[in-house]
Amino acid sequence: MNTAARWLAILLVAVAPATLAQNKVLRITFQAGETGFDPVRTHDYYSGHVLEAVFDTLLTYDYLARPAKLVPSAAALPEISADGRTYTFRIRKGIYYTDDPAFKGRKRELTAQDFAYSIRRFFDPKNRSPYAFLFTGKVVGLDEFTARAKAGAKFDYDTPVAGLQTPDRYTLVIRLKERDLNFSHVLAFPVTSAVAREVIEAYGDEVPSHPVGSGPFYLKRYVRSSKIVLAANPGYRGKKWDFAPGDNPRFKQIAERMQGKQLPLIDGVEISIMEETQSRWLAFQRGETDMEYALWDVSPTFMTDDGRLRPEFVRRGIQLDRTVDPEIIYLYFNMLDKIGDTPNPVGGFSKERMALRRAIAMSYKIDDQIRIIRKGQAVRAQYPIPPGIVGHDPKYVSSIPYDPRAANALLERYGYKKGSDGYRRQPNGEPLVIKYGSTPTERDRQFDELMQRGLDAIGIKMEIQKDRFPELLKMEKQCRLMVRHAAWIADWPDGDNFMQLLYGPNTYESNNACYKSPEYDKRYAKSRTMPDGPERDRLYHEMTRLMETDTVWLLADSRIRNTLQHPNVVGFTKHPVLHAEWLYLDLDPKPAY
Amino acid sequence: MLAYTLRRLWQFIPTLAGVVLFVFFLFNWVGGDPAYLLAGKLPNPETIANIRRQLGVDEPYAVQLWIFLKQILTGNFGASWSTNELVSQIFATRLGPSLTVLVPLLMISTLLGMAAAMLVAYVRGSLTDRAVMVGCTVAQSISILVYILVFQYVFAYQLGWFPVQGWGITFAENLLRYAMLAIIVGVAVSLAPDIRLYRTFFLDEINQDYVRTARAKGLSEARVMWVHVLRNAAIPIVTNILLQLPGLLAGAFLIERFFGIPGIGREVILAVERSDFPIIKAVTVYVAIATMIVNLVADLLYKAIDPRLQLK
Repeated sequence: MNTAARWLAILLVAVAPATLAQNKVLRITFQAGETGFDPVRTHDYYSGHVLEAVFDTLLTYDYLARPAKLVPSAAALPEISADGRTYTFRIRKGIYYTDDPAFKGRKRELTAQDFAYSIRRFFDPKNRSPYAFLFTGKVVGLDEFTARAKAGAKFDYDTPVAGLQTPDRYTLVIRLKERDLNFSHVLAFPVTSAVAREVIEAYGDEVPSHPVGSGPFYLKRYVRSSKIVLAANPGYRGKKWDFAPGDNPRFKQIAERMQGKQLPLIDGVEISIMEETQSRWLAFQRGETDMEYALWDVSPTFMTDDGRLRPEFVRRGIQLDRTVDPEIIYLYFNMLDKIGDTPNPVGGFSKERMALRRAIAMSYKIDDQIRIIRKGQAVRAQYPIPPGIVGHDPKYVSSIPYDPRAANALLERYGYKKGSDGYRRQPNGEPLVIKYGSTPTERDRQFDELMQRGLDAIGIKMEIQKDRFPELLKMEKQCRLMVRHAAWIADWPDGDNFMQLLYGPNTYESNNACYKSPEYDKRYAKSRTMPDGPERDRLYHEMTRLMETDTVWLLADSRIRNTLQHPNVVGFTKHPVLHAEWLYLDLDPKPAY
Repeated sequence: MLAYTLRRLWQFIPTLAGVVLFVFFLFNWVGGDPAYLLAGKLPNPETIANIRRQLGVDEPYAVQLWIFLKQILTGNFGASWSTNELVSQIFATRLGPSLTVLVPLLMISTLLGMAAAMLVAYVRGSLTDRAVMVGCTVAQSISILVYILVFQYVFAYQLGWFPVQGWGITFAENLLRYAMLAIIVGVAVSLAPDIRLYRTFFLDEINQDYVRTARAKGLSEARVMWVHVLRNAAIPIVTNILLQLPGLLAGAFLIERFFGIPGIGREVILAVERSDFPIIKAVTVYVAIATMIVNLVADLLYKAIDPRLQLK
C-alpha cells in the first residue's frame, strides 16, 4: 500500500463513528445544559434525569400505575407508626455502588448510614442545597443540628440527630415533628438519593462531575454541556420489568412485550445537549437521536390539528406518545397592598380591587394562548391540580369566564372610569397602570402581546417590566412584581404540592402572589392532615373557589408533551413524575434510520 | 523598538483597569443576582443569604473588587457558580473545540478571500468585478442565522453529507466530521466581507507608481501581483487577521450552539444566562489582554514587514 493510501486508511478509521457497534444505546437530547450530578446540589431539571439513572432512592414509582403510585426501590415501603411520625425503612441487602478508587478496591454495599449521611448533606452550608426545604422543619433534631453549624461550629456529619437513626446497617428510622402524609414522596425524589461518604470526601468539589451510585447506569463519558454517556451498570442488583397495565390498551401492549424481563435492557444512554429546536428536529429526523419531545415550536410539522401524527411520519413507523405534563401555567396578581413603598393597584381584598383583578382575568383569552403560543399543544387548566396528580378533578369548571364585555361593565360599576387619554383610572382618580413582568425572549413577547390585547379591550394601560429571568425571580420572591405568568410542575404526584402555592406562610417562597387569606390557610392546614379522599377533595374545592373569588390567579393551561420515538424504541410511556424512563425501555436492534 | 514595546506594555495597565472596572460594575448593577437562580424552586431568605455568603457577593464592593484584582494577577478565577467546575478547567476543555472550528475557518476564509480579492482587483471595473461586488453585498446582508439554518437543513439533513450536530472523541473525527459543516458556514459568512475589504487594499496598491514601474520593466502580471502588490498590501491584511485572533478566545456562540460544539462561546452564553460571574470575568479579562497583546504584535510586525515605518 502506498503512503497516500495508508494515510487515507488511517484518516477513515479516525473519523469513523465511535458508537458503530452499540445498537442498544438510546440516543436522546437535553434542551438545556446540565449543572452537575451531586444530588444535593443539583438545581436543574435535566441533571435530575441523570441522578435517577445513576443513583438509588429509598422508593420509586410504579412505571405504569396512574395516578402515580409509590413502590419499593432500595428499601421496602416504610413501616409508618400509628401517629404517622415515625418511618422505618428496611434497606435491601446486596445493593452495591459501582467500583471506584474511593472504595480502595473493596466492593461497597449501600447501607442505611448512606441515606442518613445524604440527608445531612442538604444542610451543610458549603453545599448551598436548593432542596433543603424538603426536610427543613420536619425531622426531629435536624434543624437544631443545622443551627449549630450555622452558628460557626464545624459541620460535623457524625453528630447524632435524634430523628435520623440507623439502629443497624440496613435500617433507617426517620422521626418527624408532625405527621406528613407526603413524606414518602420526598424519599422518591432523585435529590434524596444515597451517596457514599468516601466518594464525597475523596472528590470534594469534583463530585458533581464524578457521580458514583448504585443505580442501573453509571457515567461513562462526560463532556460538560455537550455529551453525557451512561452505560449499563454490570453490577446492578437485578430488577424485573413487572408492572400491571390495567385497562390501558397501550400499557397492555407494552406489558405484553416487556413483562418479566431483566432490567436494564439497554446497554446505555447517549445524551447530547442541543438547545436549538431546528438542530433537535433535524437530528431526530436523520435518525441521529431515537426520541425527542421538546418540539413544541415545530409540532404542526408532524401533527395534525386533532393531535395525530401526520401520515408521512406514521409510514416511517415513528411513534407518538402524548401526555399532559403535571404542571399548571397561571397568571398571578400580587395581593399585597403595597409593592415596596408604592401602593399596589391590584392588591388587597376591597371590592374594587377584586373587581379589577376579575376584569383583567376575564379579558385574557386563554384559548389564544393555547392556539398561538402553544400551537394547540396544551389543555385548558380549570383546576389548580393538573391531570395525573392525585386530587385532580376533571369535572371542575373555572368560574372565571372569558368575557371582555362583562369585564368592561364590572370596571364601570366599580368606578374605573376612562380618562381623557382613553385609559381607565382608579376609583380615586389616580392613573392605573398594570406592570406585567416578562423576560426578553421570543416566547414571552407572545405573552406580552396577548396581555396587551386583553387589557386594551378593557381600556387598561399596561407597562411591560422586561428583565432577565434571575432578576424577575428575585423580584417575585420579594413580592415586588405586580402581575406575571408563572408555572409549577409537580415535585410529587399529590395535589398538596399545588395547593401549597397559595398558602400564606409560603409567601416569599412558592406563593408568588403573596396571598394571605386566613380562610384559605385554615383549610390548607387541615387538608395536610388528611389522606387523599372525598373529604380532602371537598376542602380543595373550597380553596379553589376562594382563589377564584379573590381572583388571585387566572389558571391558563397545562402543556401536552408529545414524545416522538423511532420504531426501534420499545416500551416508552411518559411517567407523570419520573424524569427518566430509560430503565424500563428496550431497543429493537434494527437500525433506526 | 524596545522602548516602544515597553511603553505599550505599560499602557496595558490603565486599559485593563478600565475594562475590569467596567465589567465589575456592569455585572453588579445590571448582571443580576445569581443566588435566586441557584436557590431552586422554594428559596427562603435564609437559603438566599447562605448562597450569597458562599459566593462572596455579600461582601462590600471594595472587597469584591480586590478579590477580582487578585484573581487577575494569579490567573485563578475560582469555580463556576452554577456547576462548580474550575474556570481554568472550563477554558482548558472548551478552548480546543472552539479552535478546532475557528482556526481552520480563519485560515480558509483568509486565503480564499485574498485570492478572490486579488482576482477581482486585477479585473477591476469589469463585469466580473461588478458581479462579485453585488454578490458580496447580498451575501453580507444575510444574517448568519440564515446561513446556519439553511446549510444545516440542506447539507446535513437533506443531503446527509454531515451530521446535524455533535462532537466526538478524537481530534481527527471532530475536525473532519463534526466541525466541517460549521467551518463551511463560517467561511460562507466571512468570505463576502473579506473579499470586499481585501479588494480595497489591493486596489490601493495596484494604482501606485511602483506597480507601473514594475510593469514598464517587463515583469509578468503574476509577479507584479503576487510579489509586489501582495507584499505591500500585507500590512492591512495582517492587521485584519490579527484583530480577529482575540475573538477566537470568545468562540463563535451561534455556530457552537446550533452544531452542538462544546466550545467557549457556548459556555459564555450559558454563563450569561445563569449570571455565572466567574466565567464572564475570566473571558472578558482574557479577551481584553489578548486584544492588547495582538495590537502590540501587529504594530511590531508592521516594522518587520516594512522597515521604513517608524514606531512612535
